[in-house]
Amino acid sequence: MASENDDMGLEMSSITILNKYSNTSESDPFFSSGWDPIVSQSESLGGSSIASHYHLVMENQGISGTSHVSQYQSNPSFVELVPKLTGFDGGNLSQIPGPFSLPQCNQIANSNERGSKNSLRSLDEHRISETLVGTSPNGKIRKRSPESDSPFRSCKNGNEEPGMDLSSEGCDGLREQAGKKPKTEQNLSANSRGKQAAKQDKDSSQSGEAPKENYIHVRARRGQATNSHSLAERLRREKISERMRLLQELVPGCNKITGKAVMLDEIINYVQSLQQQVEFLSMKLATVNPELNLDLDRILSKDILHPQSAAVLGFGPGTNPSHTFSPSTFTGTISGFPNTNPGFPPLPQTVLENEVQNLFQMGFYPGSTMDGFGLDGQLKPEM
Amino acid sequence: MNKYNPPRMNPSSLRSRFATRFLRTLSKINAQKPTSSSSPTEIFRRYRRIKAAADKSMAYSVRSRRTWSRAMLWKLRTRPCGRRSVKTSTIIKSREARKTRHEKQNKNTTTTTTTTTGEDGVVFGVEADELRELVPGGEAMDLYNLLDETAHYIKCLTTQVQVMKKIADFYSP
Repeated sequence: MASENDDMGLEMSSITILNKYSNTSESDPFFSSGWDPIVSQSESLGGSSIASHYHLVMENQGISGTSHVSQYQSNPSFVELVPKLTGFDGGNLSQIPGPFSLPQCNQIANSNERGSKNSLRSLDEHRISETLVGTSPNGKIRKRSPESDSPFRSCKNGNEEPGMDLSSEGCDGLREQAGKKPKTEQNLSANSRGKQAAKQDKDSSQSGEAPKENYIHVRARRGQATNSHSLAERLRREKISERMRLLQELVPGCNKITGKAVMLDEIINYVQSLQQQVEFLSMKLATVNPELNLDLDRILSKDILHPQSAAVLGFGPGTNPSHTFSPSTFTGTISGFPNTNPGFPPLPQTVLENEVQNLFQMGFYPGSTMDGFGLDGQLKPEM
Repeated sequence: MNKYNPPRMNPSSLRSRFATRFLRTLSKINAQKPTSSSSPTEIFRRYRRIKAAADKSMAYSVRSRRTWSRAMLWKLRTRPCGRRSVKTSTIIKSREARKTRHEKQNKNTTTTTTTTTGEDGVVFGVEADELRELVPGGEAMDLYNLLDETAHYIKCLTTQVQVMKKIADFYSP
């Protein structure tokens, strides 16, 4: 555990402090066990050291009760950390700009310290679940920069959860990922803060709660500017979201993926793998000598048109044979089909598996290319 | 022979169209081949021809209903004659063809937007370009049409792969 922490320089001192705090309670074993997944998770999220601290803080809080809160408050560094946690209910731990939001955290540190534990705990659950699910980047998208004004306004009012606005403002400054309404974020905000729900409407959030979906339905929103531009944009974005949903159904194994960027990457990989399959199959057809006459072709067409599908494109169980086989080995002239699609193991592998078996039966050993071709004619003795 | 006749699929479905065309072309190619085709260059040539035949069959099965099929046909036609500027022709073709399709985005899509700025943000800058390279004819499309074409292209590609795989399995049991 300590070796992992050594990598993150900032966390070292804090970790020792945390250790010191945790030793006083029975949560010590939990602390040590809970650190690793959170560390790895935070690393996967982008290595936000402070965010991982937050998890630890919340874990300890949840376990040991109120005693630690005072301890944390005494430490000025954790005082800063605690409000930061509230600010990221969308789970955008990776998006935390360290020096950016800390000044604001200092402002509301005092207000957050009192009685924010319950909300923090609920936020913690939400956050951990969201970070695990990974829906955070889309839930936090705010397309309007003027929204940052209202967050600050409500922040100065000293509401219970002003960190929400911090996160929105931070996200505005950070990411311009448009196209997703911060619906999930608003869901959390509605759950945890009743006071700011009305204020959040100005921040382009929906007034009603809505279930967390992969793609957000945009309805008429309160306080939303209704000029033609934004309406057209919203309509366009809806259409694009719908298209992405269709594509999600087409591409196998993309049901859990939320987010346009990742989805597009998956689509690109899928199209590439399909094209490579076509190339590979055409290569295979070129090598196989077709001594069959037209009658067989007719039978073949019937067989092809039969509704029974090959079902090799990802629907079958992903049996992954050894990845060592590369189609390029059986011929030296073709410039190889590097199977660079780790994201679709069932897809090309099941196809390639059959091909491998076929080819090996035909004598296509990966090393003797010419021998394989020589054996070709011998396999059809009737011709 | 009175075999069990399974319920025929739609004879005009994409799969049947592609299968018949491709088989026809394949038999033609195989009839042309010399008896001794064991040289790698010969096989490579056949491979290229078969691949082009597969693509052409698929594009012909789709006719000109889709931008990608038109682009692919154009590419296949001009390729043997030398590398012309395929992209501009593709763009012109897609532009003309899009007028016949009643879509509201036609006004904004004539410009070749490599990075869809604005509401789509920075997210689709890189991935959209990659997708445009993959899908034939995707250079001159906005994101929405690109996704549309991609969906159809994926469907056709899967059909193609299935049919070709069955043929390959049939030839080499």
